[in-house]
Amino acid sequence: MIKKQCVTLLLSMLALAMSMIILVPLLIMVLGSFKDAASAQQFHLSLPQKWHFENYLYVIKEGGIGIAFINSMLIMTFVTVPVLIFGSLCAFIISRRAGRAGSILYYVFVLGMISPMQVITTFGLLKILGMVGSYQGVILIEIAIQLPWAIFTITGFIKGVPRELDEAAFIDGASPLRVFFQIIVPLLKPIMATVLVSTAMASWNEFMIPLYFFNSLKKSTMPLTVYNFFGQYASNWNYVFADLVLTALPITLLYLFCQKYIVAGQTAGAVKG
Amino acid sequence: MIKKRYPLYYTFPALILFGIFFMLPVVSSFMFSFTNWNINRLFTPKFNGLKNFKYLFTDEYFFLALKNTVLFACLTTGFIVLLGLFLSVLLREGVYGKKFFRTIFYLPAVLSLIVVGIVFSSVLKMNGGILNQILDFLNLGQLKRDWLGNPDTAMGWIMFVQVWKWSGFAMAIYLAGIQGIPKDYYEAAIIDGANKWRQFKEITYPLLASSLTIVVTMNLIGGFKVFEQVYIMTGGGPGNATQVLGTYVYQEFSKGNLGRSTAMGLVLFLIITVISSVVNRKLRQREVEF
Repeated sequence: MIKKQCVTLLLSMLALAMSMIILVPLLIMVLGSFKDAASAQQFHLSLPQKWHFENYLYVIKEGGIGIAFINSMLIMTFVTVPVLIFGSLCAFIISRRAGRAGSILYYVFVLGMISPMQVITTFGLLKILGMVGSYQGVILIEIAIQLPWAIFTITGFIKGVPRELDEAAFIDGASPLRVFFQIIVPLLKPIMATVLVSTAMASWNEFMIPLYFFNSLKKSTMPLTVYNFFGQYASNWNYVFADLVLTALPITLLYLFCQKYIVAGQTAGAVKG
Repeated sequence: MIKKRYPLYYTFPALILFGIFFMLPVVSSFMFSFTNWNINRLFTPKFNGLKNFKYLFTDEYFFLALKNTVLFACLTTGFIVLLGLFLSVLLREGVYGKKFFRTIFYLPAVLSLIVVGIVFSSVLKMNGGILNQILDFLNLGQLKRDWLGNPDTAMGWIMFVQVWKWSGFAMAIYLAGIQGIPKDYYEAAIIDGANKWRQFKEITYPLLASSLTIVVTMNLIGGFKVFEQVYIMTGGGPGNATQVLGTYVYQEFSKGNLGRSTAMGLVLFLIITVISSVVNRKLRQREVEF
């Protein structure tokens, strides 16, 4: 028994050492964000001598964080809601139609998960549609990129929902839309929560799309402010770190509170599919 | 009956959005890669056959980027597969504070690559970066160097960042897989006197085959698409030491060589599709039903 406890203790120490590799860089960021410029630049793993909360005020004012925060929130919302609605509706049909149409659609979306985005032709498309530098453009592209994963995940889940449930409702004369909203959607709650949180997270973290398709600072998103700030204030690590913390914080909180949905769903979606 | 109950047009909103804003650019880039498209001929590209591809195959930096990308995808996938497996078994075998460790190990997977990239730029800095501080502390000062400014080490550290970010995600997929293995298999093995290692080798590992397929496929695809951390941490440098296809495509794009850039994008697309489907098929063959 004692031997077993020793092993557990040893393994725990090992786990602690490995988690340090993850935590130390992040701690340097958090601690550095409260230091003055000179000591932040030393990157010591120490508490600040004096806590400079005003770093954050400075970053919020100078970095245009206010607008970026609102932009990020707006984009996140307008990406996540359509992905959820259109994605689940599409997954419903794909998972219930075993025939050729269903599987062709399925593989088209799988291809979407594999293929890298073609930035240049996408740029051309937006140009033709007059959407370069617009919110609509960025939102529509992000929706298109997120849809395949959502459909893939939800399809896997609906396949586990017994078809007899639909059957009974159809016999009672329900329309397809009614079956979807009254029978399927209530059962989808856990996977919908997962897709909601994961899509929101991916949209918040998205860097490449706003980098390519927004061309004014006024429309920057949180990760873009970090990038601009990093370029501008490369020597003021305290400000850079404060901006990094502000960008990472909402996602980290979301993760800590919704961990169950994120981890269970991201992995279950992958495993069942 | 099926057609009436599950009408295809319900898929149209998703299909149209996906078709126009993702597939259309992908498909049309196939066509543009055979033209002399550039920024001055934005609306009048002319067909020039295989010229872009011929150019690519005489361009040494393209081969360098290709080599770096393949190495990056394969090596990081290998490390992530092993490290993820290690972490999942570690948590499975019982440590104190299991939930805490699971939370920490998964955390990097939710952080933005920009944040991670910039944080590691600070960690690896020549002057004062924590890595060099640690080396000083261990009296290994002679090993100190400018990790990202040195062509021999920069690529290694960019790979490290990828492994740092995704090992916890692999761990979570394995843990979900392990949960699906019936407990009585282990009980039977214990009765037969199998030790932990035998149990892992004979039960856990083979029955995790489907999780392994997913981890390998996802990380290979992600590895081939690598862009953000290279862009942030080294910009492809020093010289072209960390140039990957993702950044090289971007560089040609910035120079206005759109035809060449799309040709490269097409090569990347073909590599990803072929390799990931071959690997996926091979791995699926060794999955067992249970």
